[in-house]
Amino acid sequence: MKVTDHAVFRRFWYPVMPLAKLVDGPQAFVLLQQPLALWLNEAGDPQAVADRCCHRTAKLSLGQVQGDAIQCPYHGWQFDGSGTCVKVPQLESGPIPKSYQVKSFACQARYGYVWVCLDSPALQPIPDIPEARDPGFRQIHEFDEVWKASGLRIMENSFDNAHFSYVHAGTLGSIDSPTPASVEVFDHPEGLRVETLIPVLNPPEQQRNLGLSDPITLRQTERFWHQPFFYRVRITYPNGLVHVMVTTTTPIDDQHSQFIQFVYRSDREEDAPAAGIIAFDRRVTHEDQQVLELTDPDAPLSIDGEEHMVSDKTSIMMRRKLAALISADAQTSAVQN
Amino acid sequence: MLVTQQPILKRFWYPVMPMTELAAGPRPFTLLAQPLALWLDQQGIPQAVEDRCCHRTAQLSLGQVQGDAIQCPYHGWQFDGSGACVKVPQLESASSPKSYQVKSFACQARYGYVWVCLESPALQPIPEIPEVDDPGFRQIQQFDETWQCSGLRLMENSFDNSHPQFVHAQTFGIQADPVPPQLDAFVEGDYGLKVNYRLPVYNNDLQKANLGMDDTALTVRISEGTWYLPFMRTLKITYPNGLIHLIFTAATPIDDQHSQVVQFCLRNDTEEQAKAADIIAFDRQVTLEDKRILESTDFDTPLSISVEQHMTSDKPGIVMRHKLAALLKHYGEEEQGQNSAPPPQEMAAV
Repeated sequence: MKVTDHAVFRRFWYPVMPLAKLVDGPQAFVLLQQPLALWLNEAGDPQAVADRCCHRTAKLSLGQVQGDAIQCPYHGWQFDGSGTCVKVPQLESGPIPKSYQVKSFACQARYGYVWVCLDSPALQPIPDIPEARDPGFRQIHEFDEVWKASGLRIMENSFDNAHFSYVHAGTLGSIDSPTPASVEVFDHPEGLRVETLIPVLNPPEQQRNLGLSDPITLRQTERFWHQPFFYRVRITYPNGLVHVMVTTTTPIDDQHSQFIQFVYRSDREEDAPAAGIIAFDRRVTHEDQQVLELTDPDAPLSIDGEEHMVSDKTSIMMRRKLAALISADAQTSAVQN
Repeated sequence: MLVTQQPILKRFWYPVMPMTELAAGPRPFTLLAQPLALWLDQQGIPQAVEDRCCHRTAQLSLGQVQGDAIQCPYHGWQFDGSGACVKVPQLESASSPKSYQVKSFACQARYGYVWVCLESPALQPIPEIPEVDDPGFRQIQQFDETWQCSGLRLMENSFDNSHPQFVHAQTFGIQADPVPPQLDAFVEGDYGLKVNYRLPVYNNDLQKANLGMDDTALTVRISEGTWYLPFMRTLKITYPNGLIHLIFTAATPIDDQHSQVVQFCLRNDTEEQAKAADIIAFDRQVTLEDKRILESTDFDTPLSISVEQHMTSDKPGIVMRHKLAALLKHYGEEEQGQNSAPPPQEMAAV
């Protein structure tokens, strides 16, 4: 499946960058091959428009913020968040022509990130993260980087209990116990919910992060997949510590994803410094990245396209759900046309 | 317009590199997607042939000059400026088969640069710049580099009096005064355009020294811009103190997305009055300001006026688009753009 082949993927919210990145001025991002210029208006709300001035096609993201608007670096034309040209410095009098307009996109801030939906209305809201509302949890921003892999591969990997023993043999997996933990998969209005009890290695570095000295520990996990590319896992350790990890793989194009990951923890900085938690998750994600960047980004939704085993159950269900989503959208479009 | 899809653009002269680049041996250059091997013959005259040996396709530009000929680096076959194979070292008899031949292109030296025309006869001569032969002027070679933008964008930029106030706000543009000046004269020719205007500018410290205007923070450029279709221009700036700074800029089309920017200037002052290095330094800042913006634009610059939005000061660029569209039409070509036809693979899929 190539994400840019299916318009339905434009109808979801995706995080594109940390909100903090916009504090210093406009930024560029490419979402599903659509170049975007992003900036903060005076109220601090993120705005997103097509990254091409309608006059001489310069990239607006190279410009500056002026009040609520973004100013083109070429001739100083200003556009607001609706894409309307609100100032043409060369015009001495008269109204600004209505055709001076760039395309705008739905944009909002959530969880400390800028989210964009290319085709409103979105099919689903931005996924809810209950722990984000819980004052007993702290948030740790971990990663924001480009992976040369498709979002679906990374999502599948997150639910794949058979890869730990191999991909993560250097961190939390053990080659001595390759049989994957069994799972219970439940339907969810926005995707899937999966419960598993996973035994993992607990190396010294992680023992400090978890406040657990056992060499092997148990992860009681509840995992959520919000279609298409949002993953949340709530891990409860035997000592009651809760580690909630959110991984999103925003589609840049058919071959690249913006890999964004952040964490909510029930402990405090004094219990486990954020730097240590990030360092361990860094090693784990690098292990995944190394393998996932070698996979074919065109992950087939048809079950015939690749071979499978029992532990691929969740990923097969994901492929079926995405196939159904694409086919429903195609039918709707056909009816409308 | 995608320049490589418009064959008529092959019938113009383009500067491809400074002559001095060829002193050390052959060089490659790609003009309108045609790879070229360039070298100097024994008289010092530049020669241009396609950059592929007809034997095993090696790049001739990787070879050496032998007398008047270029020698292929693979098997030593030698080709003269007409593309004829004049030596095959492996052949014991003197004459080589007539089919041993590479394509050659018209090539000449002018203004210290190598010029090539891919399809003769050229529709226009190389632009005449009388100041080059005027002993009262010195020539300063400034830039020779690849920009990731279309030549037309750069040409339009050169005649755009609304951009200095923003793009060049750090060098000479006056941002507080964004309304562009009225043009004093606007004369169209079949293959070009001449525009006269007076542009108020800011003098930074470097420019004050370069212009011999120590106490003058604000001055006016009495400007005459000449556009030579398709991708060359001169800008003759006369300052109130009589100093003339004439810039020649070419945006030689490499392919649809890249142009070779060749720029030199002519000045009626002396090295003692203003160091060439300082003049280059100021124009370097200015051109880098343009480059940053122009490289962000869509290389597929549309000739149709309905695709992009315009304002009054865009008149020169609009006339350029009209003249290029008229040229294409006259020679029976349709404008080719990214959206003009689906790529062949997609058509096959349908």
